[in-house]
Amino acid sequence: MEARVSLRNVRKVFDDGTGKPLVAIDGISLEAARAEFLAIVGPSGCGKSTLLKIIAGLLEPTAGVVEESGRRVSGPPPRFVYLFQQYSRSLFAWRTVIANVMFPLEQTRGARRADLRETCRRYIAQVGLAGFEDKYPWQLSGGMQQRVAIARALAANPDVLLLDEPFSAVDALTRMELQTLVLELCRQNGFTAILVTHDVEEAVFMADRVAVLTQRPTRVAEIVPIELERPRNQLTTRENPRFLELRHHLMTALLGDLAEAGR
Amino acid sequence: MKEKHLAALIGLASLMAVIGLWEYASDHRLANPALLPPPSAVASALVALIADGDIWQQLLHTAALFAGSYLIACTLGIAIGVWMGCSEFANGLLEPLVESLRPIPKSALVPALFLFLGIGPLTMVTVVVFAAVFPVLINVYQGVRGMDPVLGETARTFGCSRWRTIRSVVLPATLPAIFTGMKVALSLGIVLAVLAEMLAGQSGLGFIILDTQRAFQTDQMYAWVVVLAAFGAACSLLFDRIERLAIPWHGR
Repeated sequence: MEARVSLRNVRKVFDDGTGKPLVAIDGISLEAARAEFLAIVGPSGCGKSTLLKIIAGLLEPTAGVVEESGRRVSGPPPRFVYLFQQYSRSLFAWRTVIANVMFPLEQTRGARRADLRETCRRYIAQVGLAGFEDKYPWQLSGGMQQRVAIARALAANPDVLLLDEPFSAVDALTRMELQTLVLELCRQNGFTAILVTHDVEEAVFMADRVAVLTQRPTRVAEIVPIELERPRNQLTTRENPRFLELRHHLMTALLGDLAEAGR
Repeated sequence: MKEKHLAALIGLASLMAVIGLWEYASDHRLANPALLPPPSAVASALVALIADGDIWQQLLHTAALFAGSYLIACTLGIAIGVWMGCSEFANGLLEPLVESLRPIPKSALVPALFLFLGIGPLTMVTVVVFAAVFPVLINVYQGVRGMDPVLGETARTFGCSRWRTIRSVVLPATLPAIFTGMKVALSLGIVLAVLAEMLAGQSGLGFIILDTQRAFQTDQMYAWVVVLAAFGAACSLLFDRIERLAIPWHGR
């Protein structure tokens, strides 16, 4: 198993100058194999997003390293894309849907604009937004905006998707549609995906492995393999007794941790 | 819709009432007509100005002075504002300077500028630029600083260079703030352009208003004031139109 992304003893300490440094992440080692879907769950405020931003090269770890196929990451790696929880803030309000999707491609040298537009149309069709190319983000619903963000991510030709609670701000039905869409895109393209979420069911439904984090200072409490068969189905997978067992196990782990913190 | 029409009608009526009162006061010698000629006299002076084409030369002069200076001020204000917003170094370098120059009423600098730049167009352009640059600069700076960090992170995850981030993300994201600053600079710029013409001009609306006042041609003086008001209103209307076209997403 070749690691596409690996973290070794990553620590993050925030020093706000008050003399009491805040240890957000206290030594985390994790690996995501090529084409693996890794989910990271943890109580809120445990530094999940901080961890993902470190993986994305948006934040520097205080200690430890992040490696991309064995090479040390410093700065955002070109083949990583990041899907933000706040999709509406991540989209460019002044650009139409197709111009948003075009954004990562505009740096391509020697390409004809008409060809690029055609490529973008394909991505937009893949996320189910054909016909909305010339709308502005604010003319679309939340779920559709996140689809635009996904299409824009595809245009960057990634092989690693970093998903920062990307479905937490949409309604339940839309969330299921988007989960299935992302799983389908991962299957088609062989993406490696790292999903940060507080939704245990989402983690079990989507991932090959789920890493459970503790409260701050954050460590990995355990890693649970999810051996449910693929492709996963929103009805049958969620009704599978094994799904419920895994959900129960992870919930217990998380709640137990909260109980610890409250004592 | 009906209420809006009614409000407009009442507004128009009150304007007519003031003009009517003014006419009455002048006609009945309640005010000295030499100082305050009746609106009808001002109107006929205005018609005469338009008829003999005198209006265009003066208007063009003021418009050229204002437009040229405004363009320089906006370019400078946006460039420096973005630079200060994006770079801690630039901010540290320029902030004390900007903060100490900003509160000075720019008209107070005109006599000093006469010493260095002479009584002429260079001084006039400088003083207008100086007045109009600060609102643009401050608004752009605050706009860049207040930009949603998610946008910057998005640009970084797509591997954008610093220059491309500024051009494709920072500038468009700051456009509403740029327009806010430019709107303040617009009215300030016109005020200072007219003042500069009064103090250092050989022609233009500011010059001619002062000139007709000195010649005691008060009906013409007021006619030029009306022309100036119309010029200001036209600039403002044009600006709003452009703003709405340029930032259609704003306020959504």
